[in-house]
Amino acid sequence: MSRANLLELHNISKSFGALTALRNLSFHVEEGEVVGLLGDNGAGKSTTVNLISGIHKPTSGHLSVDGRKTTFTCRSDSAEAGIETIYQHTALVDSLSITRNIFMGRELTDRFGFLRQREMREIAMEVLQNAVHISGIDSPDTLVGNLSGGQKQAVAIARAVYFKKRVLLLDEPTSALSVRETEALLNQVLKLKGENVSSVLVTHNLYHAYQVCDRFVIMSHGTKVFDVQKADTTISQLTEYVVLT
Amino acid sequence: MTPILAESAAPRSRTRRQSFLGQIVAMPAGAIFLVFASLQIVCIVGALLYPDEFRYLSPQNLTILMKAIPVLGCLALGAGVLMIAGEFDLSIGSVYTFTAILMASLVEAGLSAFIAAPLGILAGLMIGMLNGQITLRFGLPSFIVTLGGLLFWRGAVLLYNGAVQVRFDPEPAFSSLFAGSLFGINAAFIWIILFVVGFHFLLHRHRFGNHVFATGGNRAAAEAIGINTGRVKLVAFAIAGGMAAMAGILATARVGSVQPGQGAGLELQAIAACVIGGLSLRGGRGSIIGIFLGVLLIHTITDVLLLLRAPGFYLDMFIATLIVLAAIFNHLIERRGLA
Ligand SMILES: Nc1ncnc2c1ncn2[C@@H]1O[C@H](COP(=O)(O)OP(=O)(O)OP(=O)(O)O)[C@@H](O)[C@H]1O
Ligand SMILES: [Mg+2]
Repeated sequence: MSRANLLELHNISKSFGALTALRNLSFHVEEGEVVGLLGDNGAGKSTTVNLISGIHKPTSGHLSVDGRKTTFTCRSDSAEAGIETIYQHTALVDSLSITRNIFMGRELTDRFGFLRQREMREIAMEVLQNAVHISGIDSPDTLVGNLSGGQKQAVAIARAVYFKKRVLLLDEPTSALSVRETEALLNQVLKLKGENVSSVLVTHNLYHAYQVCDRFVIMSHGTKVFDVQKADTTISQLTEYVVLT
Repeated sequence: MTPILAESAAPRSRTRRQSFLGQIVAMPAGAIFLVFASLQIVCIVGALLYPDEFRYLSPQNLTILMKAIPVLGCLALGAGVLMIAGEFDLSIGSVYTFTAILMASLVEAGLSAFIAAPLGILAGLMIGMLNGQITLRFGLPSFIVTLGGLLFWRGAVLLYNGAVQVRFDPEPAFSSLFAGSLFGINAAFIWIILFVVGFHFLLHRHRFGNHVFATGGNRAAAEAIGINTGRVKLVAFAIAGGMAAMAGILATARVGSVQPGQGAGLELQAIAACVIGGLSLRGGRGSIIGIFLGVLLIHTITDVLLLLRAPGFYLDMFIATLIVLAAIFNHLIERRGLA
């Protein structure tokens, strides 16, 4: 390897019992690059995202960050490496407020562990207004269980955008968003790219992917079948690969 | 009366214009507070109107109440924190007896109560951790594991001690610390107030509490965001066991002896207090104030029925009705939260 990529997957396989979800998957993400991770239902995209997030451990193969071989044993490890994830099934707790969800597991506290509630609330308010414009949320004290599907997704996005450091993984982030919110999110991805934050965008919408991605990785049955720069491909070619492989 | 309040509050909240009552009901533990306050008003008015027949406000009665509340209070606080974390502990009644007997017999053997009592609490913490380890290691329902614990520790009491009562004769300083009084207020009652305040800050103002709610509310989400949910649950199990031992200390210091059968059924009363106080059986919801109000409500009703000389089975029927009404009410609130 001449130059170390920010994130690399080396021959990763992942089995759930008898089912092999990923087999010999390798691809990389460069610094400041937006990679579109595409593929049919069940291709293994979410499994890949969970694996990079440290929720699943590979059965074989390994990850490397900045060229150094790494094993994530839990989510905190990947967070430490600068990876932030928006999960397909928004990882929020319905019985807690928006503020508490945003800071879940990363609470701002004094040195005795007591919550700095006012500060967190102010940040939450700001994050909700800036990161993605979220319609109809008037207070960060609202319980997440009282939000609509799109609003929940927006909270999960706001959380990831606030804590992002180096890589943002987005697993079908737009599935419940309105047109306007989707545009805002895609712009956010481009803005982060300007700040040298990489993204991996999982989506079934090739137009959205084509709008923001620099490169496309297409998966089928748990492995990579196509890896192409945006300049070298078209939407119709991508469609063909997604549908026909 | 609580379900009616819920129905009338639901449509109003949608238009964001809630009545004063609706706002109170929407607060955590708001509904239980209303029920409790109404009951208090009725009792106080009744006591003022008929001071001779209904001696609710007599100093003796208030003292009895203050002495009774702390034991169930400690058990319910521990059980409640664990319930919010999404697990149950049915063994706390047996653990309460076991640790009390352990402490009393150590004192009888000549150990200072100031050493025996912490040892009792340590035993409670360890038993709680053991429940947690078995539950988490093998992925079992804690309901089953701690049902085993209930029988096991009940048997252990008889094995260790036999079916005889143990006298508890601590040094006077120990007695006054846990069973004396300060400014006319019972020491055990002061302890439970301290615990309520401490647990309130731990659960609602501290990082640990946030993790407890997250773990019980949505374990996968908490895990995905980097919370070590296994450790959170383990600590919650330990708290339940430790508070059971604390209840044992308060009860033993008050009575001066331990009966081998005294804890039976207390675990269910503690869970009842939690449910009445607004905790969800699925975890992730509830408040410390709610738990304490649940305890107060159970004891107030017990007391009122005793003062009215009602036969004991009325008490069970009353509490039973209250639990079911509270569960229905909580369910309505949860559904509204998820709508
Ligand atoms: N925790 C798990 N246990 C068992 N099997 C799993 C688990 N997670 C995923 N799988 C299986 O792995 C395969 C890949 O699933 P994955 O969720 O990664 O697909 P995906 O590409 O994200 O699909 P979609 O576009 O529908 O979200 C599927 O066959 C799925 O059933
Ligand atoms: Mg998926």
